[in-house]
Amino acid sequence: MEPPDDLDEYLRGDSALSRQYRRESAPTPPHALDRRVLGLSRGALGLSDGVHGTARRLTPWLAPLAFAASVLLSVALVLAIVFGPQTTKRVDDAPRLVRVAAHPDATANPPLNRRLQLYSSDPKLARAPSIWLADIAALRRAGLNREADEELRRFRSAYPDYSTGDLAIRP
Amino acid sequence: MLEPMEPLDEDAKLMVRYRDGDADAFSTLYARHKGPLYRYLLRQVRNAGAASDLFQEVWSRLVATRSRYEARAKFATYLFHIAHNCTIDFFRRDLKMRRAARSDDAEHQAEPEVPEYQRPDGIAEFAEQQSALLAALGALPQEQREAFLLHEETGLTIEEIARVTQVGVETAKSRLRYAIRKLKKSLLPAEIPVRSYGRERFEQHAINGTARRLG
Repeated sequence: MEPPDDLDEYLRGDSALSRQYRRESAPTPPHALDRRVLGLSRGALGLSDGVHGTARRLTPWLAPLAFAASVLLSVALVLAIVFGPQTTKRVDDAPRLVRVAAHPDATANPPLNRRLQLYSSDPKLARAPSIWLADIAALRRAGLNREADEELRRFRSAYPDYSTGDLAIRP
Repeated sequence: MLEPMEPLDEDAKLMVRYRDGDADAFSTLYARHKGPLYRYLLRQVRNAGAASDLFQEVWSRLVATRSRYEARAKFATYLFHIAHNCTIDFFRRDLKMRRAARSDDAEHQAEPEVPEYQRPDGIAEFAEQQSALLAALGALPQEQREAFLLHEETGLTIEEIARVTQVGVETAKSRLRYAIRKLKKSLLPAEIPVRSYGRERFEQHAINGTARRLG
């Protein structure tokens, strides 16, 4: 004979067995599994998977944006090199740089040929007449009369009224 | 252990919305059913790794077959029908693997037929955390355990359990009845031979058991 049926009592709910079962631990799936399943569900709809969703949503925008930024930067760099302020100033700055270089050379009394090379690039450069005449005299003494004559002609052009005195600048 | 269920067709409506492209509807469905489904699988196969694999497989099948979904019945019966099929497939695969392993090694034929997922190393961690009730649940025949879990975790009726497990109503009823009868025994301290223990030892046993359950 069947023992008293407690199924009906159990199915009515709130039995001791159900209460005890509810008191047991209630494990849930790991979060990684949650993310995987939710990603799967979104992926099936053609959406980003939610895990890397933000990155994937931005990717279509970021890629061309990054490319455009690279092109723009490259063009700006080329323009800066070709037409930038440093290039345009270079012509203006060149005499100034020569001048800056010439003065220390002059005071340091560099070799005559070096001084001639420096000064001959621009006869209008500020050069003291006495130094210039001394250079011409040195050219004479060295037997470089043609160079001395040329320098004297330039000197006269620059300082037409300057008295040369007894300096051995003439042939 | 029962989680609050929405009215009969609420989850089915969500599933229809997901079928039609609403991803948020799936998130709601998932939040409602993930716990019961995971516990159903975990306590069926008694192995956390296998339960996780099956869990993902069930949802994958649901997603893959969403276009064919029609809200004809309670959504839980649909979901747990998939879970039931996945679990049965798992048991079959496991049985086939064990038979193949035994045929390779004749010595193994003398060993008792213990499923891979129920071997001590596979369930050691699981068993450590078990109470007397969960241990008794694990000792039930798989069909009886399933009937109990379906009712406790999802609130399915006998008829719905029968539909999920593809058996007659009387069979489902019988399985649940036997499950309850055996599980109730695990709750009764009278099962412990009190006289042979002595009063103090029995009380100590009860305290330890309670501590295990609470711990």
